[in-house]
Amino acid sequence: MSMVHAKHRTVPSVPPDSSAPRKVRRGRRPSALPYALLVPALLVLALVVGYPLVRLGVISTQGYGLRALFTGRPESVGAANYQELWLNPALVSTLVRTLVFAGSLAAGTLLIGLAVAHLMAAVGPRMRTAVTLSLISAWAMPNVASTLVWQWLFQPTYGVVNWLLTAVGIGDYQQHSWFSDPNEAFAVIWLLVVWQAVPFVALTLYAGISQIPREYYEAAACDGANALQRLRVITFPCLRPILLLVGILSVIWDFNVFNQIWLLTGGGPGDATTTIGIWSFQRAFAAQDYGQGAAIAIASVLLLMTMTGYYVRRLIRAGEAL
Amino acid sequence: MKNKTTRRAALNTVAIAFCALWLFPVYWMVNTAFKPYGDILTTTPRFLPFPLSLDNFRSAIGKPLFGTYLWNSLIVTGVAVVVSLLIAVLAATAVTRFRFAGRRAVLIGILVVQMIPGPALLIPLFLSLKSLGMLNTLVGLCLTYVGFVLPFAIWTLRGFMVGIPVELEEAAMVDGASRATVIRRILLPLITPGIIATSVFAFITAWNDYVYAYVLMKDQSKYTLPVWLGTFSTSTGTDYGGLIAGSALFSAPVIIFFMIIQRRLVAGMTAGAVKG
Repeated sequence: MSMVHAKHRTVPSVPPDSSAPRKVRRGRRPSALPYALLVPALLVLALVVGYPLVRLGVISTQGYGLRALFTGRPESVGAANYQELWLNPALVSTLVRTLVFAGSLAAGTLLIGLAVAHLMAAVGPRMRTAVTLSLISAWAMPNVASTLVWQWLFQPTYGVVNWLLTAVGIGDYQQHSWFSDPNEAFAVIWLLVVWQAVPFVALTLYAGISQIPREYYEAAACDGANALQRLRVITFPCLRPILLLVGILSVIWDFNVFNQIWLLTGGGPGDATTTIGIWSFQRAFAAQDYGQGAAIAIASVLLLMTMTGYYVRRLIRAGEAL
Repeated sequence: MKNKTTRRAALNTVAIAFCALWLFPVYWMVNTAFKPYGDILTTTPRFLPFPLSLDNFRSAIGKPLFGTYLWNSLIVTGVAVVVSLLIAVLAATAVTRFRFAGRRAVLIGILVVQMIPGPALLIPLFLSLKSLGMLNTLVGLCLTYVGFVLPFAIWTLRGFMVGIPVELEEAAMVDGASRATVIRRILLPLITPGIIATSVFAFITAWNDYVYAYVLMKDQSKYTLPVWLGTFSTSTGTDYGGLIAGSALFSAPVIIFFMIIQRRLVAGMTAGAVKG
């Protein structure tokens, strides 16, 4: 389950290759014990994930508004919620916005992460520890806290960013409000999310780079390869699986960014920072139209599944050896 | 040779600039939190919090119900960590130590479930818990967190258990150890790193969550710390000193904990990178 805060996974969930089960308990009659051991887990998952997912589908076909909330008896409206969604001009712009948002966040995170990973490999051990500690302190901060700190950094009158930009002479930023212009609001959110997402990516990629045998680079240097060629011929091929993994995880996490947007802009100004998740939330909980919100949520599940389908298939194929 | 020295100096400069940039928000949080009350709202910011002052912390802790929010956060997080670990150890034992019909389906299910965007389930969870009368209950929130942590926890623990030879346990059982003893004395000690990784994940999921607690806990006395911080701005304006001090208090346990396990964390990622 990729929750909003899933950025803190410490171990990437890659299936290990050596996972073929041994001939466990061979020669015994099938026992009920494994099922008994699984009961609590399956029960909780059925309650918290399985049932809600089915119910989400059901609600998306219901007129579930304030009245239904009180009576508890929503009426079925068939595909009306989807029809309404399909005809809503905000649909296309929200989808595009979500894709641009997730794409630019993931791209920025990967590029900066890759650069930092290379920097870590190039500097001495003491400087590397300093970089690691800076990364970890950004990573460890709960995102509600970092969002509030961001609010304070970019506060119009007393924020240090406006003061700094003015003092350095970039322009007059006194009393400048960052959240009234769509592009600037987006940029501030982008900075916040990338700041917190880079550590995981940089540390994972650095771990990958540090595993590449030095001999490869020495041999390439002997053959007269320049830095760019070494990057292309050695680093990228060796990092490919890890790059793919952190790339997909970044897309999933950035697609699901919620707290940062909700607390900084609430989706505004206008609907300039309303991604599909924010939109679903607004329709359901602010406008009290749970049916419409559920239809949007279903659309977001399908969109994410399409985007990550390749990766899921790959994982399942790797699971042949489960 | 000179070329090499310049290169090194340039790299170090870039590294220092990066550290400064990345640490700045954390530094600014600490700096703001320790400033005297009057130094917060100045148009020319002060870069050092001298004279050190605890005014802002006092103002944050002194907010009505602060103790309740802290207690709610602690309870929900503690229960979520312990319960999800217990359930995940049982499930991981089942999928690594037994062969049974449906085993593969369970594993694939656990993988796929991780791809569902969590916020999408807010609406049905809210409505279901509402009709069960379980809104505003810590039990409902705990259960939600346990459910979100489980797939990852089972998957991680499974990865650790697969690597432990079954023969070890079989030998102990031949020697007359009961199954419970085998689990307690052999399996659990060997999967300690997995248990630590899983607890960290569970802790952070529950401690940091904002949106679920925000929707499921409408009663103010049931807020957790992040929900409280999210509603800090009032109509009378924002007490930035208190807000930032509150954020610092809320972040401190996690940041300190990450710093302590820093080496282990990076080592674990290296192991993961090799596997990937």
